[in-house]
Parts: sequence; structure tokens; C-alpha cells
Amino acid sequence: MRHLLKCTTAFTALAMSAQLALAGPEIVAGPGANPECFAPWSDDTTYLQWEAKEAPYKIAVVNGFVGNTWRIQMIKTAKAFAEDPAIKDKIETLKVVSTGTDAPAQLGAIEDFINQGFDAIITIAVSPDGFDRVIRLADKNDVVIVPFDNVLDTDKVMQVNEDQLEMGRTWAKFVLDQLKAEGTTSGKLLEIRGLPGNSVDRDRSIGIHEVFDADGGDWEIVQVVGNWDDGTAQKVTADAIAVHDKFDAILAQGGTTGVVQAMMDTGHPMVPVAGESENGFRKLVAKHADEGLKGISIGQSPGLVAIAMKAAISALEGNAMPQLISVPLPIATYDELEDGTNYWSDLPDNFFTVNEFPPCGVNISGPAIMSQDESDVN
Amino acid sequence: MHKSTLKRYFSQNLGVVTASLLLIALYVTYNFMHPRGFSTAVAVQNTNEAAAIAFLAMAQTLPVLLGGLDLSVGAVMTLSNCVASVLVNGTPGEIVFGMLATLATGTAFGALNGCIVVYGRIQPIIATLATGAIAIGLALIVRPKPGGDVDGDLGWALTNSVWDFADTYELADGGDAWWLQPFVDIPVPFLLVVLVAVCVWVPFKRTVTGRTVYAIGSAEGAAFMSGLPIDRARIAAFTLGGFFASCGGLYLAIQTSSGNADLQQAGAYTLNSIAAVVLGGTSLLGGVGGAIASLVGAGILRVISFYFRILDIDPLLQPLIEGMVLLVAVSFGAIRTIRVKNKLDLFR
Repeated sequence: MRHLLKCTTAFTALAMSAQLALAGPEIVAGPGANPECFAPWSDDTTYLQWEAKEAPYKIAVVNGFVGNTWRIQMIKTAKAFAEDPAIKDKIETLKVVSTGTDAPAQLGAIEDFINQGFDAIITIAVSPDGFDRVIRLADKNDVVIVPFDNVLDTDKVMQVNEDQLEMGRTWAKFVLDQLKAEGTTSGKLLEIRGLPGNSVDRDRSIGIHEVFDADGGDWEIVQVVGNWDDGTAQKVTADAIAVHDKFDAILAQGGTTGVVQAMMDTGHPMVPVAGESENGFRKLVAKHADEGLKGISIGQSPGLVAIAMKAAISALEGNAMPQLISVPLPIATYDELEDGTNYWSDLPDNFFTVNEFPPCGVNISGPAIMSQDESDVN
Repeated sequence: MHKSTLKRYFSQNLGVVTASLLLIALYVTYNFMHPRGFSTAVAVQNTNEAAAIAFLAMAQTLPVLLGGLDLSVGAVMTLSNCVASVLVNGTPGEIVFGMLATLATGTAFGALNGCIVVYGRIQPIIATLATGAIAIGLALIVRPKPGGDVDGDLGWALTNSVWDFADTYELADGGDAWWLQPFVDIPVPFLLVVLVAVCVWVPFKRTVTGRTVYAIGSAEGAAFMSGLPIDRARIAAFTLGGFFASCGGLYLAIQTSSGNADLQQAGAYTLNSIAAVVLGGTSLLGGVGGAIASLVGAGILRVISFYFRILDIDPLLQPLIEGMVLLVAVSFGAIRTIRVKNKLDLFR
């Protein structure tokens, strides 16, 4: 009996050490699979490779906060993409839960899905830290965790995001080019910022300021806080116009429909506007571009969830993947807008237009997402 | 004689007895439906998720017993969480000091709440609304952005089973000692919550101060006329509430190995703590219930959300369903309170 006990203990120890040795992804040399879609963040980005598993896979999406249009659209996109013929056969089950802004609940949900034997877990982290334990468990069980949008401060998991710094720079460059084309080389600009204290808000703003600082022209940038929200942005823009009378251009991180609305309400002349990807903003730009509302629209797309799912599947198939995946910025300028293609005059203003990433084969149209309702899942 | 004592216990504690039965039924069903039900891994995960809200439910119980509400419990938890994320690392001595300092922070904040309520003569709900904002402000000063470096071994040891705890610190032959075997599968967070409840709440309830808390909640005038130490009991209740909230914050820091001054999370925890207290059968009018009942309430609250991960329910319908289930569960406990004509009936 004692001998048996010893044997089992030794065996368990052996099994555990073997498991530990095999656990988690290996760091490998690039390039990874499908580099047009899964572009590495920078030249220093490492590549991770998991052991290949047989399809179909069980995938869970663990969302945190729910209750704004972006998150709801993200959830609908995840469900629509799971039905896409290209990946439908590779997914056995897709489960989506929202835990609210509650770190233990989100960590608990991730751990629960690991325990249930899921193969991949996609998540928008409620906090950039604190995932050490679930990462350790995921590695132990060969589960792929893919944070996107709000990513983690770690290089141990594969993550998907858009380059916020680059987004800020692109907005600023476009506005600068428009102003130079008009012959303006100095002036007053309005910057509408997002949620304070958020890394996305910080990076976008740094990108914008970098470009104007480097230009050398005499630019005065007035900053107001719009919280990425149409209502707030509309109010602060109207206030700023009341105080400063006229701006040469406006750069908004979000709530852009409200910003343009405020311009129209206050009788502000149409000037170049850089903004997010709200359908309402694109509608207004399409309508008023020839009056001077030369707009650029770049979005943090709810469609990122689809890229994250695709990346998870690719990792499960055993492909080498960049640790940090940079999704190309979906850009549309005023001269590229086309009703029914990159904006929809029959969809609501707060719909986020960017959902298509051609290099990734992710092509879910706006109406397809909006038609996803509660009845056609499960 | 014996039989009637037992009968009286059940009739006096009907709320918590029903809540416990509901919790057991929900949890056993969950385990049957889970692919790895009744395993240590599942129990560890479940208790980890429930620990912070369990502590907060105990913290909220005391002000509720007084007939008030504490809107600062989530904020005090967040403040303690941020303090712990700075202090709980380094040598074992430093770690212990960091833990004590964290608990002291929350306890002191609770005492401050109590003093404002007693000497400032402000309603608890308003006083704690203000002090909650102060606590979040302090938390943001301590930790302007999320992060921190809580000792990794400690985090692993305290968020796992007893075996892992012994294994991490090489106690009891690395967890293989024969006398430890009956306990190896018990999750550490469960033990911590039970330990705090048994060592702090149970003795407190039996003191004069503890009983005065109940007396204030059921009939403050009568308590005053009977010469009970009303001010002392009030301050003690809020202080103890602060202590429990800081236990929650400390555990959160250990669990996430970091601190995060998250305003929304603090708000969510405050509201959930009230829900847990009510689910456990404690009356919002005060005087009836207890912290153990609130632990059961916190358990029910968490188990309901566990179901969304094993059942196929549309994600956008989940909040609606969770709300309806909660409403039904709360009504269970409330039915009896509606039926009594006189609150004294609850003690017969």
C-alpha cells in the first residue's frame, strides 16, 4: 500500500514536471502565419507558437463592461463572425459572457472556461494587470488567451490591438495636409479628448501633438474632454466655440457626430475634422464635404474581436504568431465615402462603421451585424 | 426543552436557513452541469471569485443592522487594494507589515466613518457617500494608474488549495504530511473567509457592543432608554465594517497581484454588497440578520453568474435574466417580513 502510494506520488510528480516543461507557448523566430493580417507590432515583437490541436475548437469571449454601443456591437460581431463560412467548421462552441467592471469576476470566468476545457479565451481586460494567475493556468492547460482592445502589460500572451499612437499621428497629418492645401500654416485647433486616465486617450493625444510639434508652424491646440461620448463631446465643442469663436480644424477622439452637430448648431464654418468611425459622422461628412467639412474617419473597430478570434484559431492550428498583433488602421477620408459600403444612411448614427479587414478575410457588413439578434444563436 | 430551542433557532433564522438551502441547491446543480464539477479546480476558482464580495458583504452587514447603508465599502476596498499593492512585497517581515498596514488603513477609515456619523450626526448613507469619494481620491493618489507588485508566491499560495499552500511554503512535507490529507482539497480563500468570520464576527456579536448594534436597528429609542452604549456600538460597527472591507481589498490585491483605483469597480462592489446582505436575509430596516447570512447571500449572488458560463444564454440577455433571478431570490427572504404584523414577531 505504502509502495503504491509512493509510486503514484512519483508518477504524479513526473507527470506534473513533464506538463510544466511542455506547458504554454514556445518563443520562436518569425515570420508568423498570414503576416498581412497578423502584422507584428514592431521589429522587436517576439513570436509565440502553441502545439497544434485538432479542430473544431471551443472558444469563449469574456467581456468586461457592457452597456455602450461599441461593446454591444462587438458582441454581435463575435456572433456574426462565428457563423462565417470560412471559420464556421473550426468552431465547436462560442460562448460570450460579460462580467461587468469586476476584476475577480472576469478572472473567475476565464479560469472557469479553462476548467471547462475551452481551447481559446478572447477578452477585453478590465485592468491591464492582475492576470498572472490565469495566464499561468492557461499555459499549464495549453489554452490560448487573447486580450484585445484593452490589452495587458505583459509579453506572455498573444494580444491584438490597433496602434493608437499611429491613429493620432494619422489624424494630425491629414488635418495638416488639408490646412496646408488651403494655405494655412498657423492657427488655432480644437482637440477633443477621450476618457481621462486611459492609455488609449493618452496615446492618441501624444500622436496628435507629436505631428503638430514637429511641423514648426505656430499651432495653438485647445484641449477639451469629451469622454468619447456624443453628448459630452457636443456640449464641450459648443462651449469651446463660444469661448474661442473660430477654429481652423478640429480633432476629436470620439463622439465625432456630436462635435459636427455642435459646429452646425453654433454656425461655425465648416473646417477639416478628424474623428472616429461613427456612422453619424460619416453621414455628415458625406453630406457636407463640398462645403468644407473635409473629414478623416479612423476607428477602433468592434471588429477587432473577429481578428482576435481568427488569431486564436490560427494559434491553435500550431502557427507561429506575433506576440503583439497590430491590426491595420481602417481609414476613410471624405473623398472615399460611399453609402452602403463604408457608411450606411439607413443605420443609426451611433453605429461603428469599420468592420471590414480585407487582408484578414474579415468582411462582415454593417447590416449583417445589426441583423444579429437574440433569436438566431445557440 | 431541547427540541423547542432548535425550533426557535430555525424560526428566528428562517431567512438564513432558506438562503443556505437555496445556495446549496444552486451550487450542487451547477457542479452537476459543469464538465469538471465537484473537482478542486472548480472549487478553487469559485471561492477565489467569491472571496472579495464575501468580505464586502460582511462589511455592509454592520451598517445595515444599524438601519443604515454604507456607500463607501467598495471605495474602502479599493483604497486598501491600492495600499496593499504598494506594501505587500519584499521580505516575509515586510509582507506581514504590509498586510497589517492595509488592514489598519481600512479599519481607520471605518472608524472615521463611524465618528462622522455619530459626532457629525449625519445620516450614514450621505456621510459614506462623501467619504467613499475621499477613499477613491486617496486610492488614486496611492496608485494613479493600475499596477503594483504583490509577492507572487503569496498570490499563488493564497489563491489555491491547501496542498498548493503547503507546497509553496514547504510546510507539512510540502503538503504530503498524513495529518494534512483530509484538508488538502479545501480552497484557501474559503478558509480565510471562514477564519475571519469565526474569529472576528462571532465574538463581536456576543459582546454588549455587538448586541447593541442589533438593538439600535430594531428600536433605537428603547436601546437608548435601556442605557446601552449607542455611540460606542455605532462607531464599532463602522470600524468593523472598514476592517472587513480592507480584508476584501487585501485579498483582491493578493489575487490580482496588483492594485487598481477603479471607480466603477468600487461602485459595483458597493451595490453588490447590499444585494448580498439582502439575499442573506438581513433586513434593510435593521436589527435582523448577521454577517454569516451575508456570506450565504454573497455565495448566491456569485453562483447565479456562474450559470451563464455553462448554459447557452444570449450575452445581451444575461443582465436581464440575472436581475430577474435576483429579484425572485430576494423575494424569498422578504415574504416572511411582509407577513409579520409586528417586527417583534421575528424574535419569537
